[in-house]
Amino acid sequence: MKDTVTLQINGENYELLIEPKKTLLEVLREDLGLTGTKEVCDFGTCGACTVLLDNRPVLSCLTLAVSCRGKKITTIEGLKKGETLHPLQSSFIERGAIQCGMCTPGMILSAKALLDENPHPTEFEVRKAISGNLCRCTGYVKIVEAILAIPQGVMKGELKESSKP
Amino acid sequence: MRLPDFQYVAPQSIGEACLFLKDHGRESKILAGGTDLLPSMKQRIFRPSYLVHIHDIPEMSQIRFDEQLGLRIGALVKLHTLERHPLIIERYPMISQAAAEVGSVQIREMASLGGNLSVDSRCYYYNQSYFWRKCKPICIKMGGETCNAIGGGKRCFAAFCGDLAPPLIALGAKIKLLSTKGERILSLSDFYTGDGAKPLAIEPDEVLAEVRVPVLSPNKAFGTYLKYRIRRSIDFPLASVAAVLTLDAKEQACQEVKVVIGAVGTKPEEVKTIGELLKGRRLEDPIIEEASELAFQAAKPIANQGSTPSYRKRMIKILTAKALKRGLRELA
Repeated sequence: MKDTVTLQINGENYELLIEPKKTLLEVLREDLGLTGTKEVCDFGTCGACTVLLDNRPVLSCLTLAVSCRGKKITTIEGLKKGETLHPLQSSFIERGAIQCGMCTPGMILSAKALLDENPHPTEFEVRKAISGNLCRCTGYVKIVEAILAIPQGVMKGELKESSKP
Repeated sequence: MRLPDFQYVAPQSIGEACLFLKDHGRESKILAGGTDLLPSMKQRIFRPSYLVHIHDIPEMSQIRFDEQLGLRIGALVKLHTLERHPLIIERYPMISQAAAEVGSVQIREMASLGGNLSVDSRCYYYNQSYFWRKCKPICIKMGGETCNAIGGGKRCFAAFCGDLAPPLIALGAKIKLLSTKGERILSLSDFYTGDGAKPLAIEPDEVLAEVRVPVLSPNKAFGTYLKYRIRRSIDFPLASVAAVLTLDAKEQACQEVKVVIGAVGTKPEEVKTIGELLKGRRLEDPIIEEASELAFQAAKPIANQGSTPSYRKRMIKILTAKALKRGLRELA
């Protein structure tokens, strides 16, 4: 039995008629075409499906879409402002922190949640913050460097101009 | 993996939830954070007709403390909140540390205390997809007659691996279960049956509503939770130890020691012989060795998790010694 629900995603409202068994991941990718969020294990063990729910990182593969009414959802698509990439996105690109790219959206959102709360983390704190996001390609070194490279002031809204993708 | 079909019910209060479960409890599953139930449903281990989604129920999401009743934590409080709550960090830091050990950042944002205490027991031959399981006979936990983990096994040995249970049992916690019949308070250790197939002493019409932790002794008390797992994130424990040490103020001898071991049996269990051994004694290396040997004897893992039963038993011994030494260092 389908249910109507309005989801607020990246600042826009989407009215949907969906079955309760649809996960947020399925709705994002299949109903809304927002394929930036990746389906990898679909089981809660890899973090590739990470999105921000009210600014906190959660697994969209284990979130029922109908339970997200009234919550603010942020996906990787929501990070850039117009044509300007978010500093985390630029940093990942510049530092070679992306190989196949499947873990990247989840990594960046987990990193964003960390930096929004703790703008100057230690390497240990960065590793702990991304410990729910698995990467099979990079060995994590460049990912950690890319996150540590974000200077303290940048996250507070002083976006630096960066190259387009 | 798609979820199976179900009817979605979202009660707005505990009362509404209990009323629904009174009539439909047997065909329902309670959904809180979903980090244990939804993966199992994706594997078709459970196909409830109704999912009763309890979330955002204020009465179940509070943390309160007073000197009479001690700490009361609503079952829907998220692990992430337990990890960071100033009251918990100040008065019961072991609870914060244990919560920080669960799963991953994302899982802790979603998972509830009640859910972690009610996590389904685990076995390599059970936590598998429908496709995998249909290649073997139906196991006892799934309602069949065979144990696939132990040839000829006549009962279920699925291990209980929840992280918050050993520390809370070591702190003497009680839980409150609610139904339309009223409330039932029992000690957390009695919540676990030891039967891998039906690990929790909860009825289909009941909801775990609250956890109560008594005030700690006015003498110096210190709790440690240590977890052995292969990776430093995401994994359940393969062996875990919670130890609460209370020293007599003057003598520096043990007034009370509670050591609870987890993940190496069908339920988390206090090793009462350690408490008896250490009562009134000063903690020194030889007696710590003796106590950790008792923990080793009490651990009964079988080959249904990662690592090997022998390694996990040996880790119980090491973690017990470590936990006792850490307590001593902090209190001395």
